[in-house]
Amino acid sequence: MAEGGWRTKRGRKTLAALVFLVLGRGLVASVRLDERVRCEVCGWPDGTVVTLRVAPFGPQVSWRVAGDVLEHLGGGETDSDLLVTFKSVDDAIPLLLGMQGVLVAFAEHRMMVRGDLSVAMSFVRCLHIVEGYLFPDIVTRRILPHPAERRAGHLRAYAQLVHRTAVLEGAAS
Amino acid sequence: MIPGYYEFCNSAKIVSGTRAIEHIGFELASLGSSRPLVLTNRQLRELKVATVVLDALKDTEAEVVGVYDEVPVDSSVAVVNDVARVYRKTGADAIVAVGGGSVLDTAKGATIVLTHGAEDLMEYRGAESLMGRRAVTFIAIPTTAGTGSEVTSAAVIKDTERRVKMGFTSLSLLPDVAILDPRMTVGLPLRLTASTAMDALTHAVESFSCVQANPLSDCYARAAIDLIREYLPKVMADSKDPKTRLAIANAAMLAGAAFSNAMVGIVHAMGHAAGGVAGVPHGDAMSILLPHGMMYNLDVAGERYGELLINLAGAEAYASTPRAQRPTAAIQAVRSMTQALHVQVGLPLTLGGAGVSPEQISDIAIAALDDGAMSMNPKQPTYQELAELLKDAL
Repeated sequence: MAEGGWRTKRGRKTLAALVFLVLGRGLVASVRLDERVRCEVCGWPDGTVVTLRVAPFGPQVSWRVAGDVLEHLGGGETDSDLLVTFKSVDDAIPLLLGMQGVLVAFAEHRMMVRGDLSVAMSFVRCLHIVEGYLFPDIVTRRILPHPAERRAGHLRAYAQLVHRTAVLEGAAS
Repeated sequence: MIPGYYEFCNSAKIVSGTRAIEHIGFELASLGSSRPLVLTNRQLRELKVATVVLDALKDTEAEVVGVYDEVPVDSSVAVVNDVARVYRKTGADAIVAVGGGSVLDTAKGATIVLTHGAEDLMEYRGAESLMGRRAVTFIAIPTTAGTGSEVTSAAVIKDTERRVKMGFTSLSLLPDVAILDPRMTVGLPLRLTASTAMDALTHAVESFSCVQANPLSDCYARAAIDLIREYLPKVMADSKDPKTRLAIANAAMLAGAAFSNAMVGIVHAMGHAAGGVAGVPHGDAMSILLPHGMMYNLDVAGERYGELLINLAGAEAYASTPRAQRPTAAIQAVRSMTQALHVQVGLPLTLGGAGVSPEQISDIAIAALDDGAMSMNPKQPTYQELAELLKDAL
């Protein structure tokens, strides 16, 4: 964490980058774990690139649809078919830390969307499911439109996440 | 009710009144424009509705550089690009859009092309993603009283080749001036008047009860409902009265400003889907689905509906209804309105009556779940809940 912790802008951006990393891999793991996320992603055109980003200079996280799986593209610049941009890091943090729901953040104009709004709606449903795995019930009760319904336990989800992180880091080294 | 955070913008100048269109020369001049391209459709030209605007423009310093009257019922990318081409070719410096939702949305699409040099409008789809000031002066003159498009930051344009409807929302789509003149709507058939007014009523009720509602949008929504309650029955009784026509045009504008800022919810999501899957006219869908949507939201938005009883049914009805019964009384007031319109002009009361078959319910429910309006509803339905709701309306 940057000096001054998350109270500084730099600290909050670092925190956002960290959550994006977890979310990036968490969404990929959810496609494997949960058929609801798989069904949503299968409805997106093959090759679709989805990016979640903080304006104006990032961080960001992207995924690409490859058949019936989702590839985590990391935080690099990429051309996106669906680009969801938080207007500032201060708009991103409450959502990324589970203090605010995606739909409320959208209602409060905290992000802008470029791309097909029906894919954006589907993406939001995926995020809701992923949040169900990443956050405990005390958080999900507040931020999700429905009680979290998990097709696998938290532990299995975290194991998938750690496994994928290890695999990716092994491949990178 | 005060939300933790909200935004509100209604920057369009409203020019409202009998013969308000005669001010168009002044409005263009004050915006620094003198070469308008008039956008309309064939029917409005044949009915001489567009002629009122063209005549008003004759007696000004402005020079009409062209009249584009090829706008179809559903605005499309091809038409938007063609309008932009004509605009450039004629050296126009303003668009005056005279028509209903499709003409106004076509004008909004053309302003995107002209401002951003868009080759493919598809690249600009989305919410709040258009940056920069609009490069085109834009005056909107609605000829229906329902969509409120003259004051909304939204547009829907069809890509007929790719068979998709593209949604755009951006403050840069707001017209500079909206002119409301009863001469534009006085000839509207009563059935269409009723249907579009119910669209406006739905804008007002949903914007008041959705998650983006705020003190400013509430004022607009309440004022719109008051006007509809008072003047819609009068229009039904005397369709030629300019005063009542102007009141309904104002109601549509007020409701448009409310929903442009507070958005709409489940009723519009289902209505868009019913239109896409089964071709149900939008206003008819709103009229049918509004009470059903309110019933669905009752447990989370009941208090807000109760507050609206004073606007939907009047002060006496509000005062004589116990607080706990106001939410259901508000829904009943809407039902009474739709039933009266069913008797008067044949507005359908059920989706079945509007031509929806039971086999189409599933597709409508799926499409409604993907509709952007759903995200602003105070309660998120599951597919099963939505299918049940639609069956109830069948």
